[in-house]
Amino acid sequence: MTDALKILLSSAVTGLLGLDSVQAGQFLLSRPAFVGPLLGWLNGCPLEGARMGILLEMLYIDVIPVGGVVPPNGAAAAAAAVLAYSAAGLAPSLAFFVGAAAGAAYSPVETLLRTARSAWNPRIREQVSAGDFNISRWLARAMLMENAALAGYTVCWAALCAALAVLPGIRALYPATDFAYSLMPWLGLSGLYFRFRTQAYKKG
Amino acid sequence: MQIVTHMEEEIKECRAAGPGAADIPMAAMFCRSFFIQAGWNYERFQNLGFVFSLLPALRRIYPDKAGLKNAILRHMEIFNTQPYMANFVLGNVARMEAGAAASLEPDARLKNMPGVKQALASSFASIGDRVFWGRLKPMTTQVCLLVWTLAGFYGWLFTGRAEQPSLWLVFAGPLAGILGYSAVAVYLRWIGLKKGYACGGTASCGLDAVNWPGIIRFLSAAGFAFSMVLALLAFGLLIVANYGACSTAELMLKLGLGAGVLVLHRVARAYGRSAFFAAGFILAVSVLVFSVFRVEPFKMHI
Repeated sequence: MTDALKILLSSAVTGLLGLDSVQAGQFLLSRPAFVGPLLGWLNGCPLEGARMGILLEMLYIDVIPVGGVVPPNGAAAAAAAVLAYSAAGLAPSLAFFVGAAAGAAYSPVETLLRTARSAWNPRIREQVSAGDFNISRWLARAMLMENAALAGYTVCWAALCAALAVLPGIRALYPATDFAYSLMPWLGLSGLYFRFRTQAYKKG
Repeated sequence: MQIVTHMEEEIKECRAAGPGAADIPMAAMFCRSFFIQAGWNYERFQNLGFVFSLLPALRRIYPDKAGLKNAILRHMEIFNTQPYMANFVLGNVARMEAGAAASLEPDARLKNMPGVKQALASSFASIGDRVFWGRLKPMTTQVCLLVWTLAGFYGWLFTGRAEQPSLWLVFAGPLAGILGYSAVAVYLRWIGLKKGYACGGTASCGLDAVNWPGIIRFLSAAGFAFSMVLALLAFGLLIVANYGACSTAELMLKLGLGAGVLVLHRVARAYGRSAFFAAGFILAVSVLVFSVFRVEPFKMHI
């Protein structure tokens, strides 16, 4: 019961923080480096939350959200990773890779939501033409949909991880995931190095 | 007759200048600009957020319903730029609208608006992407890692190591980067709105307000320096954590693995693949070696 409440609370927080990534504020509060420790703290594992969060952050640095690119969702990734560890009981190493997959798999959902909003344009034009200039309710609706989608998505991943945890033989993967996980900081450092090396050697 | 014509021209110019910045609800526009991407859609990108942010100014400029309606519909077209830089365009457009509303020939003044708006949006998108997404954002990660490392929390590097860092330290790392980044972003949003309004009407408005190339070069150099420091710290910590606890050959293997990951990432990038590919590759090989062939588990630190 407590776990279920924690999952619901964590999902709600994720949905709320997720708005920061595109729709509201953009203060980087939706980045895994912050969502990880926050949800970790809520679920009683701030250290693992921070560790998984920063490693996901370093992995996600490779994707820049320019133009219409829909990058992997960092908030969803960190939430799925923390819940896979704290609620489902997976090893932190496997939880990290589950989180990375969850973040990447959210991109189609985001694309779907953005595409759905395209259909609003003619309706808003009609509304304005009719003399009603209230745009804010459309934006509120968009944010509510994003919030609900991300929160629901997080709950689904938590359920999936719980199912994964009872799979027979799942523990046989742990030596492999532990080793791969131990190399992720080096991959992240490499990402940071190449990101700035390319820029530092560019002219102008 | 000449005097009357001259006076008429002066009145025209005076009216064309429109209301001053004090008359435009800057604070309301500024607050709303944080939601500029709230209605992001594939058909017209940030158009809904742009209209929402501009609305307080439009309401002030066009007290009549018909004028306001036309103005809103004008800005329902495509708009897309970097969100933190959007306020330069927002201020500029507000000034152009104010000028057009006060002009005796509003249509002539509004004719250039879409072109100026588009040109500014593209230019500021390019600058904003380089400054924020390309440099400042990864630098927040570097700041987090540096804060943690300097405070003695190495859990981010040694993933299997049990550590008990204080809660404030766990949050101090990410918050240090976030606060610095957000301070710059919020300041630029406010300055952008004011500068944009002050020099509104020209396609280069605000582009020369800051030495962008200089800032970009500085951030590139600083980011690269931070990356080098972090890489050296990581290799140093790996040596310190293992020195005396394992054989030289084993230590060299661990150092080689760290460097090998860098080479793997480099190769992946050369073939147009991201870090996700490299991570997947590492995981697949690890599963094969440690779970399928059941090789003795191996740790990067003792």
